[in-house]
Amino acid sequence: MLSSHISISAAGCFVFAVSLSALAMSATADDAQLALGRKVFTELSEPKCAVCHTLADAASSGEVGPNLDTLKPDVDRVMAAITQGIGAMPANEVLSEEQIKAVARYVSSIAGKAN
Amino acid sequence: MDSSLDVDRRSFLIGGAGAAAAVAVASPGGTALAQDAAPKVKAALPKYADWKDASALIVHSDKTLEMKREEFGNSLITPESKLYIRNNINPPDASVIANRDSWKVEFGGVKYPKSLTVAELKTLGVVTIATVLQCSGNGRKYFQDQVVSTNQKITGTPWTVGAAGCVVWTGVPLKSVVEALGGIADGAKFITGTGGETLPDGLDPLSLIVERSVPLDTLDNVILAWDVNGSPISLAHGGPLRMIVPGYSGVNNVKYIRALVFTPKQTEAKIQKTNYRMHPLDRKATSDDPAVWAMNVRSWITTPLTSAKSGALQITGLAFGGINALAKVEVSTDGGTTWKDASLSGPNLGRFAWRQFTFPAKLAAGAYKVVCRATDSEGKVQPKDTEINGGGYLHNGWQGPGIDLSVT
Repeated sequence: MLSSHISISAAGCFVFAVSLSALAMSATADDAQLALGRKVFTELSEPKCAVCHTLADAASSGEVGPNLDTLKPDVDRVMAAITQGIGAMPANEVLSEEQIKAVARYVSSIAGKAN
Repeated sequence: MDSSLDVDRRSFLIGGAGAAAAVAVASPGGTALAQDAAPKVKAALPKYADWKDASALIVHSDKTLEMKREEFGNSLITPESKLYIRNNINPPDASVIANRDSWKVEFGGVKYPKSLTVAELKTLGVVTIATVLQCSGNGRKYFQDQVVSTNQKITGTPWTVGAAGCVVWTGVPLKSVVEALGGIADGAKFITGTGGETLPDGLDPLSLIVERSVPLDTLDNVILAWDVNGSPISLAHGGPLRMIVPGYSGVNNVKYIRALVFTPKQTEAKIQKTNYRMHPLDRKATSDDPAVWAMNVRSWITTPLTSAKSGALQITGLAFGGINALAKVEVSTDGGTTWKDASLSGPNLGRFAWRQFTFPAKLAAGAYKVVCRATDSEGKVQPKDTEINGGGYLHNGWQGPGIDLSVT
Protein backbone atom coordinates (compact mmCIF):
# COMPACT_ATOMS: atom_id res chain seq x y z
CA MET A 1 0.00 0.00 0.00
CA LEU A 2 2.72 2.36 1.04
CA SER A 3 4.81 1.79 -2.08
CA SER A 4 1.83 2.28 -4.31
CA HIS A 5 1.13 5.64 -2.63
CA ILE A 6 4.68 6.70 -3.23
CA SER A 7 4.62 5.76 -6.85
CA ILE A 8 1.38 7.62 -7.43
CA SER A 9 2.82 10.67 -5.78
CA ALA A 10 5.97 10.42 -7.88
CA ALA A 11 3.95 10.06 -11.00
CA GLY A 12 1.96 13.10 -9.93
CA CYS A 13 5.15 15.12 -9.55
CA PHE A 14 6.33 14.03 -12.95
CA VAL A 15 3.08 15.05 -14.60
CA PHE A 16 3.20 18.36 -12.76
CA ALA A 17 6.73 19.02 -13.96
CA VAL A 18 5.82 18.17 -17.53
CA SER A 19 2.82 20.45 -17.53
CA LEU A 20 4.84 23.31 -16.09
CA SER A 21 7.35 23.05 -18.88
CA ALA A 22 4.55 22.70 -21.44
CA LEU A 23 3.02 25.86 -20.02
CA ALA A 24 6.31 27.71 -20.33
CA MET A 25 6.72 26.56 -23.91
CA SER A 26 3.15 27.41 -24.84
CA ALA A 27 3.46 30.84 -23.24
CA THR A 28 6.35 31.61 -25.58
CA ALA A 29 4.52 30.21 -28.58
CA ASP A 30 1.46 32.15 -27.51
CA ASP A 31 3.38 35.42 -27.35
CA ALA A 32 4.78 34.83 -30.81
CA GLN A 33 1.34 33.96 -32.14
CA LEU A 34 -0.20 37.06 -30.58
CA ALA A 35 2.55 39.25 -31.99
CA LEU A 36 1.99 37.76 -35.43
CA GLY A 37 -1.75 38.27 -34.99
CA ARG A 38 -1.26 41.94 -34.24
CA LYS A 39 0.95 42.30 -37.31
CA VAL A 40 -1.66 40.59 -39.48
CA PHE A 41 -4.31 42.95 -38.10
CA THR A 42 -2.36 46.13 -38.76
CA GLU A 43 -0.10 45.27 -41.72
CA LEU A 44 -0.36 41.89 -43.45
CA SER A 45 -4.07 41.59 -44.17
CA GLU A 46 -5.58 43.06 -47.35
CA PRO A 47 -7.73 45.04 -46.94
CA LYS A 48 -6.11 45.64 -43.54
CA CYS A 49 -8.32 44.72 -40.61
CA ALA A 50 -7.35 48.01 -38.96
CA VAL A 51 -8.72 50.10 -41.83
CA CYS A 52 -12.27 49.00 -41.05
CA HIS A 53 -12.29 47.90 -37.40
CA THR A 54 -11.71 49.66 -34.10
CA LEU A 55 -9.47 47.67 -31.75
CA ALA A 56 -7.82 49.63 -28.95
CA ASP A 57 -4.83 47.30 -28.56
CA ALA A 58 -3.95 47.75 -32.22
CA ALA A 59 -4.52 51.51 -31.97
CA SER A 60 -7.01 51.24 -34.82
CA SER A 61 -10.14 53.33 -35.10
CA GLY A 62 -11.75 52.10 -38.32
CA GLU A 63 -15.50 52.66 -38.36
CA VAL A 64 -16.51 50.74 -41.45
CA GLY A 65 -17.11 47.41 -39.75
CA PRO A 66 -18.19 46.57 -36.21
CA ASN A 67 -16.12 47.82 -33.28
CA LEU A 68 -14.28 44.69 -32.12
CA ASP A 69 -13.81 45.99 -28.58
CA THR A 70 -17.58 45.95 -28.16
CA LEU A 71 -18.28 42.90 -30.34
CA LYS A 72 -15.67 40.72 -28.52
CA PRO A 73 -15.80 37.84 -31.00
CA ASP A 74 -14.42 34.40 -30.05
CA VAL A 75 -11.66 32.62 -32.00
CA ASP A 76 -13.99 30.58 -34.20
CA ARG A 77 -16.10 33.58 -35.09
CA VAL A 78 -13.07 35.59 -36.24
CA MET A 79 -11.73 32.61 -38.21
CA ALA A 80 -15.07 32.09 -39.96
CA ALA A 81 -15.41 35.81 -40.72
CA ILE A 82 -11.95 35.89 -42.30
CA THR A 83 -12.15 32.65 -44.27
CA GLN A 84 -15.75 33.03 -45.49
CA GLY A 85 -16.42 36.75 -45.27
CA ILE A 86 -19.56 38.18 -43.70
CA GLY A 87 -21.84 41.02 -44.70
CA ALA A 88 -19.71 43.49 -46.63
CA MET A 89 -16.45 41.96 -45.32
CA PRO A 90 -14.79 40.03 -48.15
CA ALA A 91 -13.41 36.51 -47.64
CA ASN A 92 -9.64 36.28 -47.22
CA GLU A 93 -7.53 35.90 -50.35
CA VAL A 94 -4.02 36.63 -49.05
CA LEU A 95 -3.47 35.25 -45.54
CA SER A 96 -2.01 31.82 -44.71
CA GLU A 97 -3.79 29.47 -42.32
CA GLU A 98 -1.15 30.26 -39.69
CA GLN A 99 -1.76 33.99 -40.11
CA ILE A 100 -5.53 33.54 -39.87
CA LYS A 101 -5.19 31.50 -36.69
CA ALA A 102 -2.84 34.10 -35.26
CA VAL A 103 -5.08 37.08 -35.93
CA ALA A 104 -8.11 35.19 -34.65
CA ARG A 105 -6.26 34.34 -31.42
CA TYR A 106 -5.06 37.93 -31.13
CA VAL A 107 -8.45 39.60 -31.69
CA SER A 108 -10.38 37.18 -29.49
CA SER A 109 -7.92 37.50 -26.62
CA ILE A 110 -7.50 41.27 -26.70
CA ALA A 111 -10.83 42.73 -27.86
CA GLY A 112 -12.43 44.82 -25.16
CA LYS A 113 -9.50 44.33 -22.77
CA ALA A 114 -7.50 47.47 -23.44
CA ASN A 115 -10.16 49.91 -22.29
CA MET B 1 -32.79 67.23 -38.70
CA ASP B 2 -31.61 64.52 -36.38
CA SER B 3 -32.07 66.33 -33.09
CA SER B 4 -33.84 64.33 -30.43
CA LEU B 5 -36.75 66.76 -30.66
CA ASP B 6 -37.26 65.93 -34.31
CA VAL B 7 -36.87 62.28 -33.61
CA ASP B 8 -39.46 62.26 -30.88
CA ARG B 9 -41.75 64.07 -33.25
CA ARG B 10 -41.04 61.44 -35.88
CA SER B 11 -41.93 58.65 -33.46
CA PHE B 12 -45.12 60.43 -32.53
CA LEU B 13 -46.13 60.97 -36.12
CA ILE B 14 -45.78 57.30 -36.98
CA GLY B 15 -49.30 56.64 -35.84
CA GLY B 16 -50.85 59.58 -37.62
CA ALA B 17 -49.48 59.43 -41.12
CA GLY B 18 -51.27 57.57 -43.86
CA ALA B 19 -54.20 55.21 -43.77
CA ALA B 20 -52.05 52.13 -43.37
CA ALA B 21 -50.11 53.53 -40.44
CA ALA B 22 -53.33 54.60 -38.75
CA VAL B 23 -54.18 50.91 -38.53
CA ALA B 24 -51.31 50.44 -36.11
CA VAL B 25 -52.95 52.78 -33.64
CA ALA B 26 -56.36 51.23 -34.03
CA SER B 27 -55.17 47.64 -33.73
CA PRO B 28 -55.70 45.89 -30.40
CA GLY B 29 -52.66 46.20 -28.22
CA GLY B 30 -51.10 48.79 -30.52
CA THR B 31 -48.76 49.99 -27.82
CA ALA B 32 -46.19 51.74 -29.98
CA LEU B 33 -47.11 55.25 -28.93
CA ALA B 34 -47.26 54.49 -25.23
CA GLN B 35 -43.91 52.72 -25.31
CA ASP B 36 -42.28 55.53 -27.25
CA ALA B 37 -43.20 57.89 -24.44
CA ALA B 38 -41.30 55.82 -21.88
CA PRO B 39 -37.92 57.05 -20.59
CA LYS B 40 -35.10 55.99 -22.89
CA VAL B 41 -31.75 54.51 -21.95
CA LYS B 42 -29.38 55.70 -24.65
CA ALA B 43 -26.01 54.57 -23.36
CA ALA B 44 -25.51 51.47 -25.47
CA LEU B 45 -26.71 52.82 -28.81
CA PRO B 46 -24.28 53.96 -31.50
CA LYS B 47 -24.38 57.69 -32.22
CA TYR B 48 -26.16 57.48 -35.57
CA ALA B 49 -28.98 55.58 -33.85
CA ASP B 50 -28.95 57.25 -30.45
CA TRP B 51 -32.52 58.49 -31.00
CA LYS B 52 -33.84 54.94 -30.95
CA ASP B 53 -35.69 53.32 -28.08
CA ALA B 54 -32.80 51.53 -26.37
CA SER B 55 -35.12 49.60 -24.08
CA ALA B 56 -36.65 47.91 -27.14
CA LEU B 57 -33.36 46.84 -28.69
CA ILE B 58 -30.54 44.32 -28.25
CA VAL B 59 -27.22 45.92 -29.19
CA HIS B 60 -25.17 43.15 -30.83
CA SER B 61 -22.59 45.65 -32.13
CA ASP B 62 -22.50 49.25 -33.26
CA LYS B 63 -23.71 48.06 -36.68
CA THR B 64 -26.31 45.53 -35.57
CA LEU B 65 -29.33 46.31 -33.37
CA GLU B 66 -32.09 43.75 -32.91
CA MET B 67 -35.64 44.47 -31.78
CA LYS B 68 -36.54 42.45 -28.70
CA ARG B 69 -39.09 39.77 -29.47
CA GLU B 70 -41.51 40.95 -26.79
CA GLU B 71 -41.62 44.36 -28.50
CA PHE B 72 -43.58 42.97 -31.47
CA GLY B 73 -46.62 42.65 -29.20
CA ASN B 74 -49.76 42.91 -31.30
CA SER B 75 -48.63 45.82 -33.45
CA LEU B 76 -48.88 45.59 -37.21
CA ILE B 77 -46.51 48.43 -38.16
CA THR B 78 -43.05 48.61 -36.64
CA PRO B 79 -42.11 52.11 -35.42
CA GLU B 80 -38.79 53.33 -36.80
CA SER B 81 -37.63 53.88 -33.21
CA LYS B 82 -37.73 50.11 -32.61
CA LEU B 83 -36.88 48.82 -36.07
CA TYR B 84 -33.72 46.67 -36.26
CA ILE B 85 -30.55 48.00 -37.84
CA ARG B 86 -28.00 46.10 -39.86
CA ASN B 87 -25.51 48.46 -41.44
CA ASN B 88 -23.05 46.64 -43.66
CA ILE B 89 -20.69 49.57 -43.36
CA ASN B 90 -20.97 52.77 -41.39
CA PRO B 91 -23.53 55.35 -42.55
CA PRO B 92 -22.41 58.48 -44.39
CA ASP B 93 -22.15 61.79 -42.57
CA ALA B 94 -25.46 63.20 -41.33
CA SER B 95 -25.00 66.13 -43.71
CA VAL B 96 -26.54 63.93 -46.44
CA ILE B 97 -29.96 64.44 -44.85
CA ALA B 98 -29.50 68.18 -44.26
CA ASN B 99 -31.13 68.97 -47.58
CA ARG B 100 -32.98 65.84 -48.60
CA ASP B 101 -34.57 67.17 -51.77
CA SER B 102 -31.19 67.98 -53.28
CA TRP B 103 -29.83 64.40 -52.97
CA LYS B 104 -28.93 63.19 -56.46
CA VAL B 105 -29.26 59.77 -58.02
CA GLU B 106 -27.43 58.92 -61.22
CA PHE B 107 -29.55 56.77 -63.53
CA GLY B 108 -27.89 54.62 -66.20
CA GLY B 109 -28.71 51.75 -68.50
CA VAL B 110 -31.67 53.76 -69.80
CA LYS B 111 -32.23 55.53 -73.10
CA TYR B 112 -31.50 58.95 -71.60
CA PRO B 113 -29.05 58.54 -68.69
CA LYS B 114 -29.42 61.39 -66.24
CA SER B 115 -28.97 62.52 -62.64
CA LEU B 116 -32.20 63.35 -60.86
CA THR B 117 -32.66 64.98 -57.47
CA VAL B 118 -35.16 63.74 -54.92
CA ALA B 119 -37.19 66.88 -55.65
CA GLU B 120 -37.33 65.90 -59.33
CA LEU B 121 -38.16 62.28 -58.51
CA LYS B 122 -41.11 63.48 -56.45
CA THR B 123 -42.63 64.99 -59.61
CA LEU B 124 -42.62 61.64 -61.43
CA GLY B 125 -44.93 59.64 -59.19
CA VAL B 126 -45.82 58.77 -55.61
CA VAL B 127 -46.89 55.43 -54.21
CA THR B 128 -47.12 53.99 -50.68
CA ILE B 129 -46.46 50.33 -49.96
CA ALA B 130 -46.07 48.18 -46.84
CA THR B 131 -43.20 45.67 -46.81
CA VAL B 132 -41.50 43.34 -44.41
CA LEU B 133 -37.96 44.64 -44.06
CA GLN B 134 -35.88 41.73 -42.83
CA CYS B 135 -32.16 41.16 -42.50
CA SER B 136 -30.92 38.30 -44.70
CA GLY B 137 -29.49 36.74 -41.53
CA ASN B 138 -32.59 36.98 -39.36
CA GLY B 139 -32.81 33.66 -37.47
CA ARG B 140 -29.10 32.91 -37.90
CA LYS B 141 -28.88 31.91 -34.24
CA TYR B 142 -31.00 28.83 -34.96
CA PHE B 143 -28.43 27.71 -37.56
CA GLN B 144 -25.58 28.50 -35.15
CA ASP B 145 -27.26 26.42 -32.43
CA GLN B 146 -27.47 23.50 -34.87
CA VAL B 147 -23.73 23.49 -35.61
CA VAL B 148 -22.57 24.12 -32.05
CA SER B 149 -21.26 20.56 -31.63
CA THR B 150 -19.23 20.59 -34.84
CA ASN B 151 -15.94 22.32 -35.56
CA GLN B 152 -17.71 24.48 -38.14
CA LYS B 153 -18.77 27.95 -37.20
CA ILE B 154 -21.28 30.28 -38.77
CA THR B 155 -20.13 33.82 -38.20
CA GLY B 156 -22.40 36.83 -38.16
CA THR B 157 -24.89 38.32 -35.77
CA PRO B 158 -26.92 35.71 -33.82
CA TRP B 159 -30.29 37.21 -34.69
CA THR B 160 -33.37 35.29 -33.54
CA VAL B 161 -36.55 36.93 -34.93
CA GLY B 162 -35.95 40.62 -34.21
CA ALA B 163 -34.06 41.60 -37.36
CA ALA B 164 -37.37 42.28 -39.07
CA GLY B 165 -40.14 44.82 -39.14
CA CYS B 166 -43.17 45.74 -41.22
CA VAL B 167 -42.96 49.32 -42.40
CA VAL B 168 -44.76 51.64 -44.80
CA TRP B 169 -42.66 53.28 -47.50
CA THR B 170 -43.55 56.23 -49.69
CA GLY B 171 -41.62 56.98 -52.85
CA VAL B 172 -41.60 56.97 -56.62
CA PRO B 173 -42.16 53.74 -58.55
CA LEU B 174 -38.96 52.90 -60.44
CA LYS B 175 -40.96 52.15 -63.58
CA SER B 176 -42.20 55.77 -63.59
CA VAL B 177 -38.59 56.95 -63.53
CA VAL B 178 -37.72 54.54 -66.34
CA GLU B 179 -40.58 55.87 -68.46
CA ALA B 180 -39.35 59.43 -67.92
CA LEU B 181 -35.87 58.40 -69.02
CA GLY B 182 -36.99 56.79 -72.26
CA GLY B 183 -37.03 53.15 -71.21
CA ILE B 184 -34.44 50.52 -70.36
CA ALA B 185 -31.41 49.99 -72.61
CA ASP B 186 -31.21 46.75 -74.57
CA GLY B 187 -29.67 43.74 -72.88
CA ALA B 188 -30.33 44.77 -69.28
CA LYS B 189 -31.07 41.88 -66.93
CA PHE B 190 -30.44 43.41 -63.52
CA ILE B 191 -31.19 46.53 -61.51
CA THR B 192 -27.96 47.57 -59.83
CA GLY B 193 -28.12 50.05 -56.96
CA THR B 194 -25.16 51.76 -55.33
CA GLY B 195 -25.13 53.03 -51.75
CA GLY B 196 -23.77 56.41 -50.75
CA GLU B 197 -21.55 55.33 -47.87
CA THR B 198 -18.09 56.91 -47.66
CA LEU B 199 -15.36 54.33 -48.23
CA PRO B 200 -11.96 54.55 -46.51
CA ASP B 201 -8.97 55.50 -48.65
CA GLY B 202 -6.44 52.99 -49.79
CA LEU B 203 -8.55 50.01 -50.68
CA ASP B 204 -10.22 48.66 -53.77
CA PRO B 205 -13.76 50.12 -53.69
CA LEU B 206 -15.20 46.86 -55.03
CA SER B 207 -14.02 45.08 -51.89
CA LEU B 208 -16.33 47.14 -49.74
CA ILE B 209 -18.86 49.19 -51.67
CA VAL B 210 -22.50 48.43 -50.95
CA GLU B 211 -23.72 47.79 -54.47
CA ARG B 212 -26.38 45.19 -55.14
CA SER B 213 -27.92 43.77 -58.29
CA VAL B 214 -31.43 42.31 -58.32
CA PRO B 215 -33.20 40.64 -61.26
CA LEU B 216 -34.97 42.96 -63.69
CA ASP B 217 -38.28 41.19 -63.07
CA THR B 218 -38.54 43.08 -59.76
CA LEU B 219 -39.00 46.33 -61.72
CA ASP B 220 -42.77 46.55 -61.30
CA ASN B 221 -42.41 46.46 -57.50
CA VAL B 222 -39.29 48.56 -56.83
CA ILE B 223 -39.70 52.06 -55.44
CA LEU B 224 -37.23 54.76 -54.44
CA ALA B 225 -38.49 55.81 -51.02
CA TRP B 226 -38.01 59.04 -49.11
CA ASP B 227 -40.52 58.42 -46.30
CA VAL B 228 -41.02 55.54 -43.89
CA ASN B 229 -44.15 55.32 -41.73
CA GLY B 230 -45.09 58.80 -42.95
CA SER B 231 -41.87 60.61 -41.99
CA PRO B 232 -38.57 61.22 -43.78
CA ILE B 233 -36.33 58.13 -43.57
CA SER B 234 -33.67 58.53 -40.88
CA LEU B 235 -29.99 58.36 -41.77
CA ALA B 236 -29.77 55.04 -39.91
CA HIS B 237 -32.38 53.49 -42.20
CA GLY B 238 -31.11 54.90 -45.48
CA GLY B 239 -32.39 58.46 -45.80
CA PRO B 240 -32.58 60.62 -47.80
CA LEU B 241 -33.46 57.92 -50.37
CA ARG B 242 -33.60 54.14 -50.22
CA MET B 243 -34.18 51.58 -52.95
CA ILE B 244 -36.96 49.27 -51.79
CA VAL B 245 -37.20 45.86 -53.43
CA PRO B 246 -40.38 44.35 -51.93
CA GLY B 247 -40.05 40.69 -51.01
CA TYR B 248 -36.24 40.84 -51.08
CA SER B 249 -34.08 40.63 -47.95
CA GLY B 250 -32.63 43.73 -46.27
CA VAL B 251 -29.27 44.00 -48.05
CA ASN B 252 -31.00 44.36 -51.42
CA ASN B 253 -32.79 47.48 -50.21
CA VAL B 254 -29.85 49.80 -50.81
CA LYS B 255 -29.56 52.75 -48.43
CA TYR B 256 -28.52 56.29 -49.47
CA ILE B 257 -28.95 55.22 -53.07
CA ARG B 258 -26.74 57.39 -55.27
CA ALA B 259 -26.67 55.39 -58.53
CA LEU B 260 -29.15 53.05 -60.18
CA VAL B 261 -28.14 51.35 -63.39
CA PHE B 262 -29.82 48.70 -65.54
CA THR B 263 -27.02 46.24 -66.22
CA PRO B 264 -26.57 43.10 -68.34
CA LYS B 265 -24.61 41.45 -65.50
CA GLN B 266 -24.52 41.50 -61.71
CA THR B 267 -22.08 43.95 -60.15
CA GLU B 268 -18.51 42.84 -59.46
CA ALA B 269 -18.70 44.33 -55.93
CA LYS B 270 -17.75 41.66 -53.40
CA ILE B 271 -20.96 42.19 -51.43
CA GLN B 272 -22.74 40.81 -54.49
CA LYS B 273 -20.16 38.61 -56.19
CA THR B 274 -18.96 36.47 -53.30
CA ASN B 275 -20.86 37.66 -50.22
CA TYR B 276 -24.54 37.19 -49.44
CA ARG B 277 -24.55 33.86 -51.29
CA MET B 278 -26.15 30.57 -50.31
CA HIS B 279 -23.05 28.40 -49.88
CA PRO B 280 -22.28 25.19 -47.97
CA LEU B 281 -20.84 25.35 -44.49
CA ASP B 282 -17.45 23.93 -45.39
CA ARG B 283 -16.32 26.44 -48.00
CA LYS B 284 -16.55 30.08 -48.88
CA ALA B 285 -19.02 31.30 -51.47
CA THR B 286 -18.41 31.76 -55.17
CA SER B 287 -20.36 33.75 -57.73
CA ASP B 288 -21.93 30.46 -58.86
CA ASP B 289 -23.79 30.06 -55.56
CA PRO B 290 -27.33 31.53 -55.51
CA ALA B 291 -27.52 35.17 -54.42
CA VAL B 292 -29.46 36.03 -51.28
CA TRP B 293 -32.43 37.71 -52.89
CA ALA B 294 -36.08 36.77 -52.33
CA MET B 295 -37.33 36.06 -48.81
CA ASN B 296 -39.21 32.89 -47.98
CA VAL B 297 -42.38 32.15 -46.02
CA ARG B 298 -42.03 32.67 -42.30
CA SER B 299 -43.85 33.20 -38.99
CA TRP B 300 -43.27 33.52 -35.28
CA ILE B 301 -45.32 33.80 -32.13
CA THR B 302 -45.34 37.16 -30.37
CA THR B 303 -47.52 36.44 -27.30
CA PRO B 304 -47.32 34.66 -24.93
CA LEU B 305 -43.56 34.06 -24.96
CA THR B 306 -42.84 32.31 -21.66
CA SER B 307 -45.80 31.66 -19.39
CA ALA B 308 -49.58 31.80 -19.17
CA LYS B 309 -52.37 30.99 -16.74
CA SER B 310 -54.27 27.77 -17.31
CA GLY B 311 -57.57 27.98 -19.13
CA ALA B 312 -58.42 29.98 -22.22
CA LEU B 313 -55.72 32.04 -23.86
CA GLN B 314 -54.98 33.67 -27.21
CA ILE B 315 -51.74 32.77 -28.96
CA THR B 316 -50.82 35.55 -31.39
CA GLY B 317 -48.06 36.11 -33.90
CA LEU B 318 -46.90 37.47 -37.22
CA ALA B 319 -46.60 35.70 -40.57
CA PHE B 320 -45.57 36.61 -44.09
CA GLY B 321 -44.98 34.92 -47.40
CA GLY B 322 -41.73 36.70 -48.32
CA ILE B 323 -41.74 37.14 -52.08
CA ASN B 324 -45.26 35.67 -52.22
CA ALA B 325 -48.44 36.54 -50.40
CA LEU B 326 -49.31 34.70 -47.20
CA ALA B 327 -51.98 31.99 -47.51
CA LYS B 328 -52.40 30.51 -44.04
CA VAL B 329 -50.89 29.93 -40.61
CA GLU B 330 -51.12 26.85 -38.41
CA VAL B 331 -50.32 26.55 -34.71
CA SER B 332 -49.29 23.51 -32.69
CA THR B 333 -49.20 23.32 -28.89
CA ASP B 334 -47.51 19.90 -28.91
CA GLY B 335 -44.25 20.74 -30.65
CA GLY B 336 -45.51 20.07 -34.16
CA THR B 337 -47.28 16.72 -33.71
CA THR B 338 -50.72 18.13 -34.42
CA TRP B 339 -51.60 21.39 -36.18
CA LYS B 340 -54.69 23.58 -36.34
CA ASP B 341 -55.38 26.66 -38.46
CA ALA B 342 -54.96 30.07 -36.86
CA SER B 343 -57.12 32.97 -38.02
CA LEU B 344 -55.65 36.01 -39.73
CA SER B 345 -56.72 38.68 -37.30
CA GLY B 346 -55.48 41.97 -38.71
CA PRO B 347 -55.75 44.03 -41.88
CA ASN B 348 -54.16 42.91 -45.13
CA LEU B 349 -51.63 45.53 -46.24
CA GLY B 350 -50.71 43.64 -49.38
CA ARG B 351 -48.51 40.87 -50.71
CA PHE B 352 -45.28 42.09 -49.12
CA ALA B 353 -46.52 43.00 -45.63
CA TRP B 354 -46.84 40.62 -42.74
CA ARG B 355 -50.14 39.68 -41.16
CA GLN B 356 -51.18 39.20 -37.58
CA PHE B 357 -52.64 35.85 -36.58
CA THR B 358 -54.54 34.58 -33.55
CA PHE B 359 -55.07 31.07 -32.23
CA PRO B 360 -57.46 30.52 -29.33
CA ALA B 361 -56.30 27.70 -27.05
CA LYS B 362 -57.39 26.14 -23.80
CA LEU B 363 -54.44 24.74 -21.89
CA ALA B 364 -54.25 22.91 -18.54
CA ALA B 365 -51.26 23.47 -16.27
CA GLY B 366 -48.10 21.99 -17.73
CA ALA B 367 -45.23 22.55 -20.13
CA TYR B 368 -45.98 23.11 -23.82
CA LYS B 369 -43.90 23.53 -26.94
CA VAL B 370 -45.86 26.07 -28.99
CA VAL B 371 -44.87 26.47 -32.63
CA CYS B 372 -46.37 28.02 -35.75
CA ARG B 373 -45.86 27.49 -39.45
CA ALA B 374 -47.04 29.53 -42.41
CA THR B 375 -47.87 28.63 -46.00
CA ASP B 376 -47.49 31.06 -48.90
CA SER B 377 -49.76 31.60 -51.90
CA GLU B 378 -47.65 29.14 -53.94
CA GLY B 379 -48.22 26.38 -51.40
CA LYS B 380 -44.73 26.56 -49.89
CA VAL B 381 -44.80 25.59 -46.22
CA GLN B 382 -42.19 26.47 -43.62
CA PRO B 383 -39.95 23.44 -42.97
CA LYS B 384 -39.21 22.12 -39.49
CA ASP B 385 -35.58 23.13 -39.97
CA THR B 386 -34.00 25.06 -42.82
CA GLU B 387 -31.06 23.41 -44.58
CA ILE B 388 -27.90 24.91 -43.09
CA ASN B 389 -25.86 27.33 -45.19
CA GLY B 390 -22.46 28.81 -44.41
CA GLY B 391 -23.61 32.41 -44.12
CA GLY B 392 -26.61 31.58 -41.96
CA TYR B 393 -28.99 33.27 -44.39
CA LEU B 394 -32.76 32.99 -44.98
CA HIS B 395 -33.66 30.82 -41.99
CA ASN B 396 -37.34 29.92 -42.01
CA GLY B 397 -37.65 26.70 -39.99
CA TRP B 398 -40.58 26.59 -37.58
CA GLN B 399 -38.77 24.69 -34.83
CA GLY B 400 -36.14 27.31 -33.97
CA PRO B 401 -38.43 30.17 -32.88
CA GLY B 402 -40.80 27.80 -31.03
CA ILE B 403 -41.94 28.79 -27.54
CA ASP B 404 -41.46 26.76 -24.36
CA LEU B 405 -44.66 27.78 -22.63
CA SER B 406 -45.17 27.17 -18.94
CA VAL B 407 -48.87 27.09 -18.05
CA THR B 408 -49.69 27.36 -14.34
